[in-house]
Amino acid sequence: MSGGDTEAGGSEFERRTRALLVQSADELPGAVRSRLTQARHAALATRSLRSPSVTRRWMPLGAAVAAVLALLIVYVPHGRSPLESPVPGAGLEDIELLTDTDAMPLNGDQDVDYDFYEWAAAEAAGAAGPAVGS
Amino acid sequence: MAAFASLGNQTADLIPSGKAHLRDTTQDATRALEAFLASVERKAFRIAQIALRHEADALDVVQDAMMQLSSRYASRPSQEWKPLFYRILENRVRDVQRRRSVRSRVMSYLPWRGEDEEDAVDPVALAVDQAPLPPAQLESDEAMAALEQAIAGLPTRQRQAFLLRNFEGMDVAETAAAMKCSAGSVKTHYFRALQALRAKLGEFRT
Repeated sequence: MSGGDTEAGGSEFERRTRALLVQSADELPGAVRSRLTQARHAALATRSLRSPSVTRRWMPLGAAVAAVLALLIVYVPHGRSPLESPVPGAGLEDIELLTDTDAMPLNGDQDVDYDFYEWAAAEAAGAAGPAVGS
Repeated sequence: MAAFASLGNQTADLIPSGKAHLRDTTQDATRALEAFLASVERKAFRIAQIALRHEADALDVVQDAMMQLSSRYASRPSQEWKPLFYRILENRVRDVQRRRSVRSRVMSYLPWRGEDEEDAVDPVALAVDQAPLPPAQLESDEAMAALEQAIAGLPTRQRQAFLLRNFEGMDVAETAAAMKCSAGSVKTHYFRALQALRAKLGEFRT
């Protein structure tokens, strides 16, 4: 490969061929130049009309997706609430226990009849005393 | 330019008034694309015409390439436009050549094929222009015709490398991007194209 030939426009031959080709492009007939101008404007019009309409077309969809996401974030619970019982269905059982009148009283200390227990203890002690003494 | 200005305004009208910077950006981009297309359209037409030897097909191919660049690749950096545009153009040229090849193969199997209207020779085009051309113009036209014929006879890759490097003035890297090959391949194709053209044309004068 000769060095001069590898660079465009390097040799005399390349310069001549280039000059001829450029001249032929500069001297295109008017009809062809007009068609090229029309083609250029058509291409630009395609782009001009395309860009905003694409934005317009996707904008409502984007807004709808954003609204759905916002609703999901607000209304779908994430993790466990601190007031929530770890036992499933425990709330209902608690209510039943509290309303059951037959069950043992949960506040047992208030209803204990201490006099009865003291009497019973005295009786037991009394009964044992004479038995031993007699 | 007036048509371009109206296009720019048309785009600008679609953008809300509060987005003035967007409108300016769009107008600048459209203006840059307009300038680029105007700078390449004639050479692109000649490149397509030399490859296809048909004016209407060459115009269609250039228009397709402009449309595709404008609609798909206009958002790319402007320095990428030229290689992209010429790659699209070459693909379109190949599509047309392939269609022609298939069509002629199919038609050759049809024994009843009459004279196709598209292939019919236009007698007006063949008519000799009686007005004498200036000697310099005549020499130039003859030289151009010989050069065009010689370039059209080159293998595809050599033709591409020669026209993009020599005619369009693209550097090796741009040509390689347009031809989707390595820089080394571009240099080889270009060198072989020059050798072939010299062998056909000699050191002709213009």
